[in-house]
Amino acid sequence: MTGRQRADRRAGLAFVAPAALALAALALYPSLWVLWLSLQHRVPIFGIARFTGLDHYAFLAADPRFWNAVQVTLVFTGVSVALELALGLAAALALQRQRAGRRLALSLLLLAWALPSVVTARLFEWLYHPSAGLVNALLGRSLNWLGDPTLALPGLILADVWRTMPFVALLCYARLLTIPIEVYEAARVDGAGRLATFRSVTLPLLRSILLVALLFRTLDALRAFDLMFVLTGGGPAGTTETLTVYAYRSLFQTLQLGFGAALGVVIFALVMAVAAGYLRALRREGLAA
Amino acid sequence: MRWAALVLAAGLALVGCAERRDGPGPVTLVFKHAKILGPTDPVPGLLREFERRHPGVSVRSEPLTWTSDEQHQFYVINLDGASPTFDVLMLDVIWVPEFARAGWLLDLAPWVTREELAPHFPAAVAAATWGGGVWAMPWNMNVGLLYYRADLLRKHGLGPPRTWEELVEQAERIRAAERDARLDGILWQGKQYEGLVCNVLEHFWASGTRLLGDDGRVLPEPERAADALAFMRGLVERGVSPGWVTAADEELTRRPFGDGRAIFLRSWPYALDLFEQADSPVRGQVGIAPLPGHASGTAGAGATGGFHLGVNRRTRHRDAAVALVRFLAAESAQRALTAAGVALYPTRMALYHDPAIVRARPSMPRFHDLALAARPRPVTPAYLMLSTTVQPEFSAALVAVKTPRQALDHARRRLEYMLGGLR
Amino acid sequence: MRVRRRAADVAVLLLLAAWATPYFWQLRTSFTPDAELLATTRVLPAAPTAIHYQAVLERSVMPQALGNSLAVASLTTLVALALGLPAAYGIARLPVPGKGLLLLVVVACTAFPQIATVSPLYLLLRALGLRDTWTALVLANTSFALPLLIWLLAGFIREIPIEVEEAAFLDGAGRLRVLGRVVLPLIAPGVASAALLTFLAAWNEFLFAYTFTATEASRTVPVALALFPGVFEVPWGDIAAASILASLPPVLIVIGLHRWLVRGLVAGALKE
Repeated sequence: MTGRQRADRRAGLAFVAPAALALAALALYPSLWVLWLSLQHRVPIFGIARFTGLDHYAFLAADPRFWNAVQVTLVFTGVSVALELALGLAAALALQRQRAGRRLALSLLLLAWALPSVVTARLFEWLYHPSAGLVNALLGRSLNWLGDPTLALPGLILADVWRTMPFVALLCYARLLTIPIEVYEAARVDGAGRLATFRSVTLPLLRSILLVALLFRTLDALRAFDLMFVLTGGGPAGTTETLTVYAYRSLFQTLQLGFGAALGVVIFALVMAVAAGYLRALRREGLAA
Repeated sequence: MRWAALVLAAGLALVGCAERRDGPGPVTLVFKHAKILGPTDPVPGLLREFERRHPGVSVRSEPLTWTSDEQHQFYVINLDGASPTFDVLMLDVIWVPEFARAGWLLDLAPWVTREELAPHFPAAVAAATWGGGVWAMPWNMNVGLLYYRADLLRKHGLGPPRTWEELVEQAERIRAAERDARLDGILWQGKQYEGLVCNVLEHFWASGTRLLGDDGRVLPEPERAADALAFMRGLVERGVSPGWVTAADEELTRRPFGDGRAIFLRSWPYALDLFEQADSPVRGQVGIAPLPGHASGTAGAGATGGFHLGVNRRTRHRDAAVALVRFLAAESAQRALTAAGVALYPTRMALYHDPAIVRARPSMPRFHDLALAARPRPVTPAYLMLSTTVQPEFSAALVAVKTPRQALDHARRRLEYMLGGLR
Repeated sequence: MRVRRRAADVAVLLLLAAWATPYFWQLRTSFTPDAELLATTRVLPAAPTAIHYQAVLERSVMPQALGNSLAVASLTTLVALALGLPAAYGIARLPVPGKGLLLLVVVACTAFPQIATVSPLYLLLRALGLRDTWTALVLANTSFALPLLIWLLAGFIREIPIEVEEAAFLDGAGRLRVLGRVVLPLIAPGVASAALLTFLAAWNEFLFAYTFTATEASRTVPVALALFPGVFEVPWGDIAAASILASLPPVLIVIGLHRWLVRGLVAGALKE
């Protein structure tokens, strides 16, 4: 028996070690290294690597571009996640009653989600074209969506909602399928109307999956990069410059690896804080449900 | 974490082995360059001519991607610690000091004397000789200038404007008289990119100030710089320039002017050939002039640009590569390029008065005077950082998201910090 | 009642189709001649053309980028599976020391922002001389694909009744044999879902690919599309054709294999 246990232990180590090493080298190590980088002036092409302590963070604390990026990131995340949850829930409820053509419905739904975000950016760039774009054609206006400082962020959010609503819808839909039909029948017998059924039966059952979707979507929105980088590049005049775009421009356009790393660390901390907060909420939820 | 150090050391050792020296036998040079736009591509012919003169040496030309950002990224990745995949490179003049400081360019000083550089425009030579070496040979010249509709100005009894204030007045007068809602005053490049920096610098210079002072100070006269930005914003607010110029690049502004829908245009020499094409609506009606000054400042000056030719410091064929660069920058090669009618102009001043060339392109002497009076963008290894740092701030001031003063304060704070990190 | 039911079904399908309009519009644009691009009132182009596809396939880096993407995404999937499957089994079934910590790391890794790890990875790949290679992209992609894969597979393995494996042990099989002969066939659908998700994520990845590549030798489809050249004017038709080609694998997966996709997606979220 102990022989088997020892063998299992050895096998376990052997099974886990390659992946653990790979993760350590490719994820864990970089995530510690970035902390160290953020404490340096680091410009590799000029051979500059100088310790500066917390200078980058001190600079950022009084940097208007940084605070603008924080604001853009939070608005983008808040508005797009809220819209995605609302629309995704609605889509899931509509799909729940679907009898015919479910396969087609799911394919149509997942299409937007599966595309590379660079493709999404190119799609919307064309839809927003001032003179030949479908959006302006439908509105009968000639708005400069991506060039106007007041329209660019809404335009960007719309593209993100389009892309990720299906993910929320799918999660909710999958949860809805697990609700036994008897629950609804019981509610009907009790004389509950549609709205009452939704409020007292469906929504409570969806609570935890909505929290999970909220967690995933918030993390992804905070980390989002491709869409804005390709669609607006952070412009016009910084109105769509999120923290990720600001970090990337610092890193690879001005080749300030240390300074850019400091921005990366800020994003890192933000993401981890949000994740920890949600996980705590989820755990409470798990105990309650 | 020791394993990582080991891996790193092993990797570095591998990289270190790559360098080798000239060997005997036939030599193939790889020449990395962007496509030269024009009716015909004269580069292949020049390379064959070089091969004829240098038996045993052949040249393979490899195309570079189109946009400047991509070219820069390509070079950074392929020159920074990598084994050489090309020997001779065409590079934007603003990158020369950066590449030189990074140690990517071979110092041509042992081969190229100062006398050999003297026939080129001083602005081009200044970039090539940053810090005392000779890092590249000037190849193509570019200069910011003012295009105007000579027919419209003549019709209203006006000459090309000497100051921006005069230009605004002329534009408003002509537009009021023409009563053509589709006729714009002046078009320029206000999109957030390198072209915007050229436009803003030209207004700085016209206002008697600059981005970097001689002592390396950032924005030494913020008041004048703010006035210059405010003036540019004012062009849009007064309606002399359409709102879309704040999102426009060269081609977006060249087209409407070429269609006869603007009185003035700030652009580069390449546009003239297109305005003079047979089917052009403005053919024969376009004049060129130096960029105006500001009433309160100095005379105007255009920003210079263009491309240089450098040698990869890690090339295995130094002598052959240097010979190719000198051959392409020599008078005969630049003459051939110019005669082919390419969109970029030579860096050798004498060619602008060469009778055969002037016959085909009568504006050459005018371009010479403009280029001679023009000024280079700051010649510093940190130029790219400088430019990408000020671009969003200038853009913010132009679309009135920030006041000029705010934008400049933000730009200065950031530049001082970043430049401090490069010391 | 049945008619109303039908009508509701059709209405939902129409709404979903409307949601997919941006894609269909790009599909339409990719077959529209340049001269007609401004005619937004027509649902279909009057004279459909394939010139944009011809241009993209014959005169752009797209074909090479498609090859690079296919290779990078497949290799990423293979590497992540080879590393992730044993690890998932170890975590699900074996007494590995420090398992709790490992799980925490795996979960945390799924939340790491790429923008934070991109600069150290850049320096690492630069030191190894791997920039502009497939290897660089496969390694970088593995960093975000592996945690998710382990998480998913461990969940699937836990669903198998342990008795099945016990029977195999009684027959004298070792752990590796049990994993290969007993567990793997049972979780095959789960592996397929996880592999699909990994492939999709690697196919769509942009940030690493944009940073670590410099030439057509390694440039992937998203990068090629983001950098699609327009010399004097933006070639909207060509870009549309390139976008359609870039989204071909994801679209095929969604149409043909969406059951597996859904399974993986839902499993990832529900196995909290």
